[in-house]
Amino acid sequence: MRRLLLPSFVTVMFLLESIIVQLFPDPLFDVYLLVPRILLILIVFITIFIGQTEGMTYGFIFGLLYDVAYTELLGAYAFAFSLVAYLIAKAINIFHKNAWTASFFAIVAIACVEWYAYAIQLVISGTTMPVQTFLQSRFLPTLFIHTIVILIVAYPLKQMLLKWYEKQDESSRV
Amino acid sequence: MPKFFLNKRLIILLVSIMVLVALIGFSLKERNELTWMEKFVKDTVVFMQSIVHKPAQLVAGFFENVNDLRHTYEENKQLKAHLEQYVLLQSEVESLKKENERLRELLDKKESLRDFVAIQATVIGRNPDRWEETLIVNKGSQHGVKKDMAVITPQGLIGKVRSVSPFSATVQLLSANDRQNRISAFIQGDENVFGLIEGYDEEREALLLKRIPYDAKINEGQRVFTSGLGGIFPKGLFIGEVEEVVADEYGLTQIAYIKPAANFYDIDDVMIVKRKIEMSQEEEGQ
Repeated sequence: MRRLLLPSFVTVMFLLESIIVQLFPDPLFDVYLLVPRILLILIVFITIFIGQTEGMTYGFIFGLLYDVAYTELLGAYAFAFSLVAYLIAKAINIFHKNAWTASFFAIVAIACVEWYAYAIQLVISGTTMPVQTFLQSRFLPTLFIHTIVILIVAYPLKQMLLKWYEKQDESSRV
Repeated sequence: MPKFFLNKRLIILLVSIMVLVALIGFSLKERNELTWMEKFVKDTVVFMQSIVHKPAQLVAGFFENVNDLRHTYEENKQLKAHLEQYVLLQSEVESLKKENERLRELLDKKESLRDFVAIQATVIGRNPDRWEETLIVNKGSQHGVKKDMAVITPQGLIGKVRSVSPFSATVQLLSANDRQNRISAFIQGDENVFGLIEGYDEEREALLLKRIPYDAKINEGQRVFTSGLGGIFPKGLFIGEVEEVVADEYGLTQIAYIKPAANFYDIDDVMIVKRKIEMSQEEEGQ
């Protein structure tokens, strides 16, 4: 049963991303283009507290689901999420693994993915949004909201991931 | 061979970038149908989403209700005023409808471009990425939804169906930035003026109605409807009102900014509209 906890939690968060955008429209979502990046936060935390392989696997699978089900631009997020997981797994070796560094990396990851998505949209001419508008109405508000959210959930999320994985580690060691 | 080409990680990265570019190219291609894999994944996600959607909607609905209560008195006053006009309007519509039917019988013309069948659908998700404004609805090809059908709310037109899988469909909103998204429309007046809706001005939050003849006289506040000449949309779906008219860059035609009637953000239920006259029939008729 414990094995299923994490996948189902990530799945529910994946579904919630789309539902949040649809159900809480005004006034926040109307003025600013807030983009929920719960999935990305989870992937960063999984990479740091559970492992690189898990992080990259979750990143790839849910990135691909995101592409197929939501954006219909295949491969874009599957590539981004797994690359983020890989880079963070390499970078975390220099730092201590705690809730603060994880929060920091999650915020950096959100910023990078936002720019990456913007770059792709510009290349395929899916948007004509100027950089100024992108920064003001999309990038900064999104980053701001996520910074607050991450600082609130970082510690509980870390504890939860560690707890879910404790038992598995023991069972695999034996 | 230089040493870094032997680096396994670098090769994996390069290969995955190539795959990424190929996949993006594939998904940008004009596709009439999704692959069966995509359809399967979409339907599965939609099925799970409709389970999670219910409790989430309850929570969101509570806050909305509180907000609604605060405006009840004002709204009630307005509605009462509207109601009196409504009775008059209804009797007028009834008599016009009957007259229309009688005249049609005389002409032996039974179907018009206006006739449509509506498929009710619930919105259960929205593209969280938000670069392309799309909605996910819970009706698909099994319920008769086809690509490019018009999608409306009671307020007016909101978009068209972009892709269909058996039990779900993706709706592209009018506010999406897609140059292939053209809708034939007309401005209602003493003389109807025809044009094409092409694109959306994000800063003004207005649709662009282009290719209006340069000598057409258009006033602000005139209403814009679909013309049904594009092939798939029925005639007479309300789009919005004219906000401003300007000459285009060459001065040969005019461009009208249209304030869309429907709110593109707060959408819960939609109707997918299927025209009664099919394309093929129309072509035979010509």
